[in-house]
Order: sequence, then structure tokens, then C-alpha cells
Amino acid sequence: MNDDLSQRHSAFRFHGSWLEFARIAFPNLLLSIVTLGIYRFWATTREREYLWSKTDFIDERLEWTGKGMELFVGFIMAFLLIGLPLIVIQLISQGLIFRGEAILAAAMTLMMFLLLFYLTGVAYFRALRYRLSRTYWRGIRGGSDDPGFQYGLAYMWKSVVGWLPIFLGVPWSMISLWNAMSFGPHRFSASAKWKPLMKRYLLFYLVPFLVFIGAVVFGISMAASGGTPDTLGSTGMAAGAIFAIVAVLSFYLFLPLAALAYYSKYFRLAVGGLRLHNLEFDFRARAPDWILFFLANMAIVICTLGIGYIFMPYRNWKFFVDHMEAYGEINIDDLTQSETVVAKHGEGLLDAFDVGAI
Amino acid sequence: MSAFFDAWHYDGKSAVRRKVEVQIIGAQFFLLETERRHGPFAFSDIEYVTHKDDADVYGLKAADGWRLMLSGPVPTDLNAMLPARRNYGGWVDKLGFGKAAVAFTLASAAAIAVVLLSPQWLAPLIPSSVDEKLGDALVGDFGGRFCSTPAGDAALKKLVASLDANPDDLQVEVAKIDMVNAVALPGGNVILFDGLVKQARSPDEVAGVLAHEIGHVREKHVMQALLRQMGLAVVLGGIDGNSGALVNNMLSMSYSRESEAEADAHSMKALGGANISPIGTASFFDRLSEMDGSANSSTSDNGIAGYMSSHPLSRSRKDAFEKSIVKGKNYKPALTPAEWTELKTMCTQDRNAKSGFGFDFN
Ligand SMILES: [Zn+2]
Repeated sequence: MNDDLSQRHSAFRFHGSWLEFARIAFPNLLLSIVTLGIYRFWATTREREYLWSKTDFIDERLEWTGKGMELFVGFIMAFLLIGLPLIVIQLISQGLIFRGEAILAAAMTLMMFLLLFYLTGVAYFRALRYRLSRTYWRGIRGGSDDPGFQYGLAYMWKSVVGWLPIFLGVPWSMISLWNAMSFGPHRFSASAKWKPLMKRYLLFYLVPFLVFIGAVVFGISMAASGGTPDTLGSTGMAAGAIFAIVAVLSFYLFLPLAALAYYSKYFRLAVGGLRLHNLEFDFRARAPDWILFFLANMAIVICTLGIGYIFMPYRNWKFFVDHMEAYGEINIDDLTQSETVVAKHGEGLLDAFDVGAI
Repeated sequence: MSAFFDAWHYDGKSAVRRKVEVQIIGAQFFLLETERRHGPFAFSDIEYVTHKDDADVYGLKAADGWRLMLSGPVPTDLNAMLPARRNYGGWVDKLGFGKAAVAFTLASAAAIAVVLLSPQWLAPLIPSSVDEKLGDALVGDFGGRFCSTPAGDAALKKLVASLDANPDDLQVEVAKIDMVNAVALPGGNVILFDGLVKQARSPDEVAGVLAHEIGHVREKHVMQALLRQMGLAVVLGGIDGNSGALVNNMLSMSYSRESEAEADAHSMKALGGANISPIGTASFFDRLSEMDGSANSSTSDNGIAGYMSSHPLSRSRKDAFEKSIVKGKNYKPALTPAEWTELKTMCTQDRNAKSGFGFDFN
């Protein structure tokens, strides 16, 4: 029994409706408020259950089997293992500053930062592993046997060594974590090429410089036309003001645009380089799609005075599924149950760090 | 007894989808394919997994990925054997949404009330040795910033003794930091910043501020605030960062107002007992708030914001001190002119004390 995906329009389809989602999201919001936020783990679970169950892969819906309690336990563990020690370290280093041992305090803060850096990598890994191990399709799930400790180290050095910190190092390490993941008996492999990304990346870093150069050019042309802005009187002042506004706007407008352009290419390359056995993936959203998506999200949140925020999981998932594509063949008989271990606790670390995996 | 019902089944071992009939035999059932029979399975091992569009999905305990999917009207005899559907999650489904929401609200309110109110009677129960150790760990020798001269120390000691009945368990020091601020810390530590002493125009002004800080110590405000902060951090830990911090700040702010009023009351009482006029403290507050109002005419006093941020100066605070003046009472200056000069110049005279930097702690 084979499914040839090339004959279909899209392997992934989303059937959800925001009205149905609202019936989940609003009670979630209410329960989260009255429980001082504790219910949010169960809220997340209910939302995922809905989103997954409304997502078709070929001819069967996905299934989210995670439990709110798992996320809650993960959060508590992260608090006890990381949150509490961090508070203690902070208190100690404050005491050290009080006693004038500023260097020792700085060293401790640096250690804390490195530890957090490392744990962020581990957290990304574990969150993806948890999500895969709770996602079922035709009774088969994903997972990984790797605890992610090594990935934490790789995440650290790749982020640091890529001399342009964070942004270029992160994509490398972010996507490489898929290499440790599997679905059913098959292992994912990630082999994205990053050279095409460089141009957009530089664009992102060039925006501030372009604005600066613009300012210099403006200043020179003013000087050449016979004086500094204040000798030019009110017209000169107005021109200066307009220029300042344009400069600020371009900073706040072009920088996010450049970041989105970069991110859209990054996502396309990352998903495009992903393979699972005979399956290849593709992400079709291009920069304008992302820009429209973000503008719409902002409009929704602003126009609803923030309430629309509760629809963001729905919007994100829909955007993701709508643009996902898969090619290749799945041999259903070959697709047997994953033998990876199922971790009992959820995304605690990730939750504590407030980051989201791709 | 046996019933048949159409369903879909995954065995969890492969991804093959099987159309099956459910055959119920007592507390067990079989799944019948055209040529195969799966089972028997016990109904007691069946768990509710999720709802998928029009179908309810059930799993089997200890069988990873085993699925039974039922859609359409399920016969009552089969329905009776299946576990209940899960909607909101355990407790909420048991109580019902409305009741659960009310119960959670009450529980949350109770938790917050306990965290806010219990420090008042918990703080006195903390042994003073713990309090002292905490103070020692936190303050130590303050990085060598404490000023000391024989005459200055004597003046400070006299001032403290006039304001408090048990001056021995207080550690009052002047720190060589050019900020208008004073702090009460665990273990009976009170630190006056040199900036504040220099700013004061009379020993009465310093006495009022000092008595206020001693009030914080005597009313156990430091330990109370510490406990309250810890409690709030735990209770509000579930709320995401920003809104949690906002609620936390609002709640602890209202409590710090209360503590400030208590410390002021303590200060006025101590001043009265020592025969020191509260008018000095009132005029000190007055000057500070004036300086704050005209922020642009910054008179090189970089530290006013420090005292203001931890001690909001309201008109009512100043008025309270003014009202506590008893007419016709024979007030004496807190220190003799010679003593006052010694205290005021203590940090200038003491060349061994390291001078502080403008770090901010309230
Ligand atoms: Zn105070």
C-alpha cells in the first residue's frame, strides 16, 4: 500500500475554523486568569489537540497526545532545577557587590549566563523531542533517544564561533537538531545549504549602516548648499526634522522587514533541506507572505485591544500548515512504531526560557 | 452478549489502517477484520485519547499508538463501557466549567491572601539568628565603605540610644556614598548614606530619618517584605513574565506604603520620646520634594531619586510630622553643635573608608 504524494495538491491541509478555536481559546483564557496562570499548560494542550486534529497529512488527521500535567511537571522541574538556583546565585552576587567583590560577582554572572546559554540549546532540543513524541499519525509517533545534552554544547559553540553572533550560528544549530529526531522507524536528516542566506543576512545588518550613510550624505549636501541647518532657517529645520523622522521610520520599518526577509528565506531553506526516509519537504511562504502574515497579526492584536492575542497559536499553525508541502512516497507497511523512549515531562525548560522551537 | 459496530483501528505497530467491527463480550471486546481477529481487549484498559473531527479516538493502556476510532452514533451498550470524554481536563470536567471557574477563583484569592497577610505574623517567628546571618551575609563590612572616627561614632551612638530602647541589637553605620538615601536591611542593619547626612541642615533631620529606618527594623518590615516577595514569586510564577511582575509590583507597592506609614509613626513616637522636634524631619521632606519637583535645577545631588524611589514623599507624610509637634514642649536639639559637626564630617575625616559608587538598591 503506497501513497504517491506527487499526485496530490498538498500533503498537508488544515481544516480548522477560528470560530471553533474561539470556543476553546476563550474558556482557556478565563480558566488561566482564575488559576493565576496555572491552567495555561492545560490550555496549551487543548489548543494543540484541536489544531493537530484539524490537520490532514495525506489521508489521516494528526493527533496530539500530550497532557497538560506533563507541561506543568516540566515547568515545576525547570523552576526547581534552574529558577531557584538562579535566584540564589543572583542573591549571592548581589551580596558580593554589596561587599565590594565586584569581580567575583561579575564572574558568577558570566557563569550564570553561560549556563543559561547552554540550557537554552538543551531546551530547544527537548521541546522538539517532546512535540514529536506526542504527535501521532496513523498510530505512529516520532521521538528521539538523544537527551540533548550534547546538542546544548553544539548550540553554544556554533552560536559563538559563527563570529556574527546568534543569527547566523543559530540557523545552523537549529536545523541540525532535526538530525537526532525520528518518526516511526525513520530518521530525519537535515542538510540545508546556508550560502544563499548570506545576502539577506547582510541586508539585515546593512540597514543601520545605510541609515547612517544617508545621514552623513544629507549633512554634507546641507553644508555644500551653503550652511548648517540652523543658518538655513525654518525650511532647513523642517527638512532636518523630516529627515530625522524618515531615518527613525526606516530604522523601525526596514529593520523588521529585513529581518522577515531573512527569516522567510531561512525557514524555506531549513524545511527544504529536511528529509524523512523517502519524504522531502518544502515551505512555500516567501517574504511577502510573511510580511502580510505579521501585519495581519499585528492588526488583529491591536484592533482587539490585545484579546486577539489568544488567536495567535491558531494563526501560526494555519500559516505553517498552509505553506507546508511534502513530496515522495510513504510505504505504509514500512512505517512501524517508533522505539524511542517517551519522556514523561514536557517543555519545562523551554517554557522557562520563553522560546519557541521551529 | 455480543454487539457489532463499525470502527477504524490502528494497532500501533504499523501505520496500516484497518476497518474493523467491535464485538463486545462482557467486559472485553474483539476487533474483527475480514480475515483477522484482534483481541481480546479489556474495556478497563481503554483510555480516551482525543476527538478528531467527527470521531472519538480511544487508546489502550501500555499499547503505544493503539487506536480505536468511533464515529457517528455509538450504540448505548458500547458507550456505557467506554471512558468519559475529556474536554477541559480532569478537575474541570468533573466539576463542570462554571463551578470549576468559581472554585479556582476562590482558591487563587485565598492563596494570594495567605501570601500577603501571613508575613505579618510569620516574620516575628523567624529566629533572630537567621535574620542576623542574612544581614551579615548581605552587608558584611559593606566593602569597607563604613566611615568611622571616635567622635563621630560617639555622636551616632548617642543619637541611636536616644531613639531606641535597645540600641545594642542595631547596627547603625554611615556609608561613604554620595546619595541621599538610607536603608534598613536584615539583622538590624541600618545604613545612612553620607550624602543624606551632608544634605541635612540639623541633627533633628537625621534623627527623623534614622528613627524611620529603625521603625522598619522594629516592625520587622524587611523580613516581611522578603517573605512576601518570595510568596508572590511562587504564587504568581504561573503567570507569564510581564503581567506577573506588574501584579507583583502593584501588590507589594501597596504593602510598602503601609510599612512606610508604620515606620513614620514609629519615627514620630521615637522623636517624641527623645524630646526631638519633628519639624526638622518635615522640612527635610519638604526640601527633598522641592528638589524632585525642579528636576532640571539638579544641585549635583545625584542621589535624591534614591530616597524618593524607596520613600515616596507625599504631602501627607510631611503634614503628619508637622502635626505631631506638641506646642509648648521643650524640644532639645538631637545633638550638640560639636557632636553634629563630628557626625557630618565623619566621612571626610575618615580617609580609610572607600568611597562608594552610585549603584542603586532600595
Ligand atoms: Zn521607609
